Amino acid sequence: MTVSLWTLARGESGAIDHFDECLPEAYRLRLLELGFHPGESVRCVQAPALGAPRVYQVANVTFSLDDDIAGCVHVVQVHDD
Amino acid sequence: MTESRPNPKALLIGSPNCGKTLLFNRLTGLQHRVANFPGITVEIARGHMSGLDDVTLYDYPGTYSLKAISGEERVAVEQFEAALEDPELGVVLCLVDVTRLEKSLYLALQVTRECARAGKPVLILANMIDVLERHDIHLDLDGLAAEIGAPVIPVSARAGTGLDTLRERVRQEFASPQLPRRSGDEDDVLLRGTSHQLARKYGPKGDVLLKSQHRLDDFFLHSAFGGVAFFVVMYLLFQSIFTWSAPAMDAVEAGLAWLSDQVVPLFGYQLARDFTADALFSGLGAFLVFVPQIFVLTFVIGLLEDSGYMARAAVLCHRPLRFFGLTGKSFIPMLSGVACAIPGIYAARSIDSPRRRFLTYLAIPLMPCSARLPVYTLLIAAFIPSGTALGGLVGWQGLAMFLVYFFGMFSGLIVTAVVSRWGSTREADLPFVLEMPAYRLPSLSPLLRRSWQRCQHFITKAGGIIISVTVIVWLLGYFPNYGEDLGASWLGQLGRIIEPVFAPMGLDWRYGVAILTSFLAREVFVGTLGVMFGIEGADENMVPLVAQIQSSDLGIASGVALLVFFAIALMCVSTLAILSREAGSYRLAVRMFLAYCAMAYVAALLAYHLVGLFGA
Repeated sequence: MTVSLWTLARGESGAIDHFDECLPEAYRLRLLELGFHPGESVRCVQAPALGAPRVYQVANVTFSLDDDIAGCVHVVQVHDD
Repeated sequence: MTESRPNPKALLIGSPNCGKTLLFNRLTGLQHRVANFPGITVEIARGHMSGLDDVTLYDYPGTYSLKAISGEERVAVEQFEAALEDPELGVVLCLVDVTRLEKSLYLALQVTRECARAGKPVLILANMIDVLERHDIHLDLDGLAAEIGAPVIPVSARAGTGLDTLRERVRQEFASPQLPRRSGDEDDVLLRGTSHQLARKYGPKGDVLLKSQHRLDDFFLHSAFGGVAFFVVMYLLFQSIFTWSAPAMDAVEAGLAWLSDQVVPLFGYQLARDFTADALFSGLGAFLVFVPQIFVLTFVIGLLEDSGYMARAAVLCHRPLRFFGLTGKSFIPMLSGVACAIPGIYAARSIDSPRRRFLTYLAIPLMPCSARLPVYTLLIAAFIPSGTALGGLVGWQGLAMFLVYFFGMFSGLIVTAVVSRWGSTREADLPFVLEMPAYRLPSLSPLLRRSWQRCQHFITKAGGIIISVTVIVWLLGYFPNYGEDLGASWLGQLGRIIEPVFAPMGLDWRYGVAILTSFLAREVFVGTLGVMFGIEGADENMVPLVAQIQSSDLGIASGVALLVFFAIALMCVSTLAILSREAGSYRLAVRMFLAYCAMAYVAALLAYHLVGLFGA
């Protein structure tokens, strides 16, 4: 079962499963360019308060995504334990 | 360099915030603006390569791929595609950040493919190799070069290493015969997959490079501490403008007063003495005294950008700004607008959503730019006591400056909130994706240089206008009765004609004239008012003018009305010109000018009557 990237709490990881149809094509491609490939592991490293964009780590790079875009990325949650 | 290329060119391309402009400055000896934030380079810069003086190097804005999303990416991609057909182009330098190989390689592969199709050689520059070496990480760059199909040269734009090798390779490429065009049939899907595999195979392993970044983010993006840190940083920014630059401003005033004392007596005629003291030195003082404030402001903003904090501020601001129809990316253009609206308007190009870019354009002219400082400084000094509280930590005048700055910013947000609710569609608002730069210790020398460049820009942009206006105002006020009676002068007559416009705010004709002249440049207000009050050298030393205002019948309601008027009115010709250029239409600039001036007048009237209600 997949959940949206936005639902990952700080410190949680997930493997990218697919992108929602609601995501504009240009942004789907941009995410792919930035390393958000299906199967790639993504970790939520910061989740500031009041709904601010969250910070996600992919490989050696961190990006901040808001709920509009992180909500369209579906991941299979990975439990460290 | 070669007979076939009388004007040889090289171009520099790479992803945002990978160190392109720093490398460009290293290679050309120029000093273009550099900062630790994606989207700083929004225009193409060019300069001659040192050591290869006949080669012109072009620095393009950063782009993650050749499929552009934002305005500055479109500039880079369109110019890159056009340059490939230019026979003068001898080599393409594609910069990749080896600490973040994943985000750079896709563009490098696309650039290599396009160069192969155009028959142009490409050199891949592996930047920030020194950062990896510090962590004892070594990459197989030869293996990477073999897989990409282009030479990979290790460089460090920050440390300046590898540049001699790079120049030698550039020289060789220009000396080599033209390459044949190849088909380059790899499509983008294939290149994306390849870049992902190459980054995994050759990129740095583990997250050792991100550990310190995560630790600092734990604080600066913390749910509680992050917000507190943000307000402390912003408060220090405003205190620095008013309080910390005061000694330097005093020194400039004293220096100009001394110079005036030495020069003025050299003239025999009274007319020449009056002109030199009241027109020329007044004009000089009107803008030179604010140079220290602009220097401090630019320096502090530069510290925030170079340290990497600015991106964190954008993240923290995104949600509240979105309520007003903006994005976290609007924060940087708006904050730049605090120094000057013009760089702010340029910086808005990095906002990929056209709608949010337009809304940011609306907000920027309401940001309290440095040109408003002289007016605010004068009025606050006239109406706010100079005492301090909390053991000298909080100055009342500094606090008043903070509030008037806040008013300008808040007005900008209200405007965008109202406009954004007209005809808003979700499709029009593209989502927020921002690369988080690493935290870095800012280098003082480039920062100081950048701050000085900003001051030079201010002096050259505003200086001529201010001196000219001051001289014209002085001439109008001096003749036809040789300064005997200002009220009977040409200026006095003009002021009385427009007096009814500003009389409802309790302002007499002298303020009307000062406001009228400040439409050329806001800073002129202080100098003109000095002339209107007949104060010799009012610009070098505001104290007599402040005392004159305090002893006149100008009430605090009129003072507040003036502050409100200047906070809203769009009175800068240069800003309007740049707005027209960036928006691609003069209509937006004209409409904004008319709307903001009308709004300023109505808001000032309201402020006057509101303060009057409280008996002030």
